[in-house]
Amino acid sequence: MTVAPASSGDSDHSLTAEAEISAAVVRCASGDRLALRIIYDREAARMIGVAMRILRRKDLAEEATHEAFLRIWRSAQSFDPARGTARAWLFAIVRNQALTSLRNEQRFDAETLDESHEPDLTAAVSRLPESSALRRCLQQLDTGRRSAIVLAYVHGFSHGELAGRLGVPLGTVKSWVRRGLRSLQECMG
Amino acid sequence: MTPARDDSPLAAEYVMGLLDAEARAEAERRIASDADFARQVETWRARFSPLDDTAEEIVPAHDLWQRIEGSLSKEAPVAQVPAVGMIGRFWRSVAALRIATLGSTLVAALLAVVAVVTLQHAQQVAARKPIYVAILIDDATRQAGAVVNAFADGRVEMIPLVDMNVPQGRALQVWTLWNREIGPRSVGLLSRARATQLDLEKLPGTTADQLFEITLEPAGGSPTGRPTGPILYKGTTTRAL
Repeated sequence: MTVAPASSGDSDHSLTAEAEISAAVVRCASGDRLALRIIYDREAARMIGVAMRILRRKDLAEEATHEAFLRIWRSAQSFDPARGTARAWLFAIVRNQALTSLRNEQRFDAETLDESHEPDLTAAVSRLPESSALRRCLQQLDTGRRSAIVLAYVHGFSHGELAGRLGVPLGTVKSWVRRGLRSLQECMG
Repeated sequence: MTPARDDSPLAAEYVMGLLDAEARAEAERRIASDADFARQVETWRARFSPLDDTAEEIVPAHDLWQRIEGSLSKEAPVAQVPAVGMIGRFWRSVAALRIATLGSTLVAALLAVVAVVTLQHAQQVAARKPIYVAILIDDATRQAGAVVNAFADGRVEMIPLVDMNVPQGRALQVWTLWNREIGPRSVGLLSRARATQLDLEKLPGTTADQLFEITLEPAGGSPTGRPTGPILYKGTTTRAL
């Protein structure tokens, strides 16, 4: 079920993709179902991948993506290209949906979790393009702070889960996150 | 004197999903009312968004788009901005033409007849065809062991596809999970694999992605009311085509 690894940012390509997705979201707002299909064809596989890192079960990741598309359709009118990119908007929706599903989830049985999606502390950062400011800035953080931020964003870990995984008290993890974010903010301007 | 509040870490934690329910709801209210905070949220989304592209692409199940379209069709039409462009103009001009030719009363009557006939037809089809189907699969061998069909009138049937080996003193128990907080509920107990109506009358209507599974339990059923034995077959419902 896994295809290509993440392609890194060819900026011309990503500009075109952003323009197409942005136009498609605007068309969704006027009730154009074909435009939603365009978004699906371009982004559904990646959206499932994003949800999968959080939910670690393909059926749940697809369910979250399914719900995300309903929300994209219903709230396309609230998308404002002046405020942010369309792709960031799409992925915020699917992440929110996956996080909601994770919070409601009391895992039915652990064996249905896909072991190959065991959260990895370094994979996501090493897949960021070399030129990415986020990559450079994350690499400047202490390992603990970096791990906490990446596990939370990429795998949907809560403060409690971070403390368990990183083997430090809850207060420590909260301060790692806060200080890490502060450093990231300074580094990324 | 109140020190100036720096909301940037809060905005970031909102984007990451680290806030508890109450703080999250408060952050969402502020996004709606506080343009500066909303901008900080967007800034953090943009900063983190390269991480989204590090996710692997996972090919969707072949019917995922159909499921999405099915859900869209079930919903009441969204309050849309009037359709603009060619198609919108086309439909408006067709409507104008129809009204001019036939008179609006006649059009309304015809539409009502079409609606009734369509509804009757849909109901007849729905009674014969399941609305959800789950194929229950053996995780180890990937072999299909049974099919669960859920019908519009609430009936749910399980049809075995293979002969399941049930040792002496054991039974097959069928479970469904439609709400993770409540957990799995027993909907059938069988001494051997045979087609059977499942007892879902006390449960809410079957929905998409509802889990069904068959476990091997002591004869008479699981002593705990929860699955205790090995899972023989399991699968989730998808909307029937």
